This record gives sequence, C-alpha cells and structure tokens, in this order.
Amino acid sequence: MMRPPQPGANPRPPSGFVKRLRRHPLLLFALVLQAALVLLPLVYMLSTSFKLPVEVFEVPMRWIPRELRIENYIEPLQQRPFVRWFVNSTIVAVSVTFLNLVTSVLAGYSFAKFTYPGRNILFGFILATFFIPLEAFIVPLFILVRDLGWLNTYAGLIIPAGGNAFAIFFMRQNLMTMPNDLIEAARIDGASEPRILLSVVLPLMRTAISSIAIFCFMWNWNSFLYPLLVATQDAYRTLPIGLASFESAYSTNYPQLMAVSFLAMLPVLIVFFILQRQFIEAIALQGVKG
Amino acid sequence: MPRFRLSVRARQDAWGFAFALPAVILFGVFAVYPILRTFYLSVHRYSLVGTPEFVGLTNFRFILTDAGFAQTLRNTGFYALGTYGPVLVLALVMALALNTGVPFRNAFRVINFIPVVISWAIVAIVWKILFNHQGLINQFLGAFGIDRIPWLQSTTAAPWAVIIPSIWKELGFYTVIFLAGLQTIPRIFYEAARIDGAGRLQAFRFITLPLLRPILFFATIIAVIEGVKVFIPQFVMTGGGPSGATKVIAVSIYETAFAFGRMGRAAAMSVLLFAIVLVLTSMQNLVYGRDRS
Repeated sequence: MMRPPQPGANPRPPSGFVKRLRRHPLLLFALVLQAALVLLPLVYMLSTSFKLPVEVFEVPMRWIPRELRIENYIEPLQQRPFVRWFVNSTIVAVSVTFLNLVTSVLAGYSFAKFTYPGRNILFGFILATFFIPLEAFIVPLFILVRDLGWLNTYAGLIIPAGGNAFAIFFMRQNLMTMPNDLIEAARIDGASEPRILLSVVLPLMRTAISSIAIFCFMWNWNSFLYPLLVATQDAYRTLPIGLASFESAYSTNYPQLMAVSFLAMLPVLIVFFILQRQFIEAIALQGVKG
Repeated sequence: MPRFRLSVRARQDAWGFAFALPAVILFGVFAVYPILRTFYLSVHRYSLVGTPEFVGLTNFRFILTDAGFAQTLRNTGFYALGTYGPVLVLALVMALALNTGVPFRNAFRVINFIPVVISWAIVAIVWKILFNHQGLINQFLGAFGIDRIPWLQSTTAAPWAVIIPSIWKELGFYTVIFLAGLQTIPRIFYEAARIDGAGRLQAFRFITLPLLRPILFFATIIAVIEGVKVFIPQFVMTGGGPSGATKVIAVSIYETAFAFGRMGRAAAMSVLLFAIVLVLTSMQNLVYGRDRS
C-alpha cells in the first residue's frame, strides 16, 4: 500500500500515511482501544491456558504465566474424545457446506432462469423459512429425526441441514444479474440443460460459490442447538457441543478448559486469517444483496 | 412447428423444476413439515412416547398465564434490546470510523471481525470465567474501588453478564454489513453536499442515513430475529439462571421439551416465538417502508 520513498527521488511532502495519521489521532486512539477490548478475552484465554488452576485468579492478573504448562493442552485430549469431536465437526461442516452449495446452485439457477409455473411459490416458501428461526420448529424437527432413526448418526447431523434458504436466495440474486444470452446461445447450439449449467453457468458463479462456501462453513462449524439434540453420544458430538459438555463436567479446571477452547478456536482462526478478505466480503455481500 | 416449440419449452420447464427439486424436498421435509407440525403439536399433549393427545388451547392457556413464562418473555425482550440496540448503534459508529482515511483501518476491520468467526460456545465459556466472582472483570472494577459483583449469581447482574459478551461477539458482523453499505455511497454526493455548504452532521442525516436505509432495514430484521431466538450464551453461561433471570424463550423451549418431556407445551412456546418474530419483522416493514423489493 505505502511505497517507500525512492532514494534520489525528489524530496516529498509527508506521505499520505503520515498525513492520515496526523489527521485522525483521536479516532485512531479510539480504534486501538476498541481493538484491545476485542483481543483481551482471547489473550486472557491463551494466558490462562498455560497456568496452574490456583494461578488463574491471582491478583493482580499475571498475563505472562510463570511457566508454560503444556500439559493443559494434552491432558484433556486424553480424558475426552476431542480429536473425534474435531473430526466430526470437520466431516459435518464440510458435508453440509457441500450440500448447501449443490442445492443452492441448482435451486438458485432454477428460480432465476426458468419460467415453469409455480417457481415463485416454491421460492417464496423457501425464502419464508429464512425468517423462521430453527428454535421455533426444533421440537418437531427433533421428533422427525428420531423417527427416521437418525439420532447419533452423520446422516442426522448432515442431511436436515442440507438446504440453506439464504444460500438459495443469494445464488438466485446472483444469477438474475447474469445475461440470458449465454444460456440461449448454448441452447441453440444444442447443449443439454445440465451441460449448460455445468459449462456455462457454473464458471460464472465462482465468486458467489466461494462466498457462500465460507459463509455456510462458518455457520455450520459453529452450529449448536441442532447438534446438541441430535448427537447425544460422545461419538457423534461436534466440537462446540463437546466443549460445552467438557465445560459443565470439568468446569473447575479453568486452564485446561481454556487450553481446549483455544485449540478448538485455532483452526477457524487460521482459516479466517488466510481468507480474511473473502470472509469479510461474504458477510458484506449478504447485507448489500439482501 | 408450434407444437415442436411447445415441447422444447416443456422440456426446459421440466429441467428447471428438476433443478429446484433437491432444495424443495429438503425444505419440505426438514423445514415446512416441522413448522406445520409445530402448530399441530401445540394443541396436543405429547411426551415423546405414545400418541399425541388433543388438548385444545390448554398449552397456550398454561404458558400465557404462567408467571415464569411471562418472565421468560421479558428476559428475551431485555436481551434483544440490550444487545442489539447497542450493537446496531456501535456498528454504525464503527463503520463510519472505518470508512474514513484512518490508518490501519483494514487491520481494525479484521480484528473487529474475529469474534464473529469464533464459536458461540467458546465465547460463552471464556466470558463465564471473565465474569467469575474472582475473575478479571471484578479485578478490574476493584481497581476503581468497586466491590465485586456476583455477575452470574445475581438476578440483576446476570442479564448483563450475558449481554456484554453478546455485544462483543456480534459487533463485527454488523460493522462489516454497514461498512459495505457505506462504501456503495458515491463520494461525489458528499463533495456536492460540501460545496453546498452542508456540515458533516447534515451530510450524515441527509445522505448517509437515507442511502443506508435498505441495509439498516436488513440489519435490524436480522438483529431482531437473532435477539429473540438467542440460546447459546444463556444455555452455556447461566443455564437460564439464577432463578430464571436469564431464561429466554429458546432455553425455555429446550428445557420444556427435552428436560421435562412436554413437547406440546414447548411447541406452544415455539408458536409464540414464531408469532413474535412475525410481528416484529412486519413492524419493521412498516417503520422502514417497503422501498426495496
């Protein structure tokens, strides 16, 4: 962003950066304070995770622990199936995201570019569910999943979450702005409908697909109420549910609790830092498109 | 010729419908059916075994006259307002701050967004420790001579102990949405306003707010839904306690259905939650007007 001054170049007035720094001192101060408030709980987590239980509530708080007790990170993994929960979270979030993408690209394309009767009613029904929180129909949903014999199965964790109203809405909006000419041209060339979707439409949806993928993955990775009900056995719990159960059972060992929480947070944070632009744009698009 | 065209058209329609089918089936089975079933269950008594028994409006009569549930409704309203009022205002302020030429603004934007990607379960666990009687927050207040507050044990403090982490967690999401909205407003509008002698506040009032309206509308609807359906912070941090001080509708539904086995009563609560969301979102439609799609 900021170019270093070229040696031998004309002496320049203070760079834009310095000027900006001077122009907004109070704002900068406020933002630094806000950033500190955001980061504080996370630093606290990291710091506490290396302590002895008796050191946690020491006054004054010691931000740098006396010694780094790495055991806090290892012992919980031996006591409880955190690795399994991590694997479950990954399997479920990846599968649900994949299903969300397939169903939303197909349905979004169908609702945006086809004219069969009833399509608006179908879309209306799906969109309406976007405004109805899961919490409002969780009881019958649980009963349904139980009756299907899907409690404590991957099918139960994945399939009912396979449709995502927002993703469908988003894909439809995205495709509405795409000109029909390309599709018509492919039809005249005699391409079949699935082929048109795969070779003409899909390549143009790359950005929309990656936005929705990030969005759905984050959403499902953090999903709580539904897996809490469907996965009651350790073997099928996802990470957030496993953590919450660990918290209620081992809540007195705060350093260990912080250590596993930190571990659980790490993968998403790493993915976030790698893809931060896409993450933020995915959310931003949600507002602008909505 | 016309017949041939019709059959091409019909084939296209069939493909179009087939493309929608996977989503339609999934939504039909796992959303529309359970939503309708909620209404059915709400007038039945059912405990997960046996067959539902029709009881008319008994479940509704019970929850609407139950003092505990009235408290639950008040708690939910308090949480939704106490969290999302400040979140929306602060997010707008943050977005305006980040939309200036302030240095490091991308770094601030990223940091501000971190809580959004962290699981609510983790956030709730960390803040539970921060709000511990001997925890960091009481230590900090102690430095100013304020006595320790029993955050999670007091009925007056506990609602705030749930709201504060929620503001912390949710702020970044709305900031990003508002910031995206601000960035769609062409700079030239502000320049024109400045030439016409408008001050910053006037520019905000007459350019920013009206042009941000659709996004404010969208964000408020999302916020309202998020607020009234809240579950995780209360479930993890307080379990709805102490003595029901942080029990919200979703926690009550969960408890009634899965701890007490009263599916019908929980379904009646769900119908109420559904009605609340419907009323609040349509109220917003009135407030903001329907100036977009």
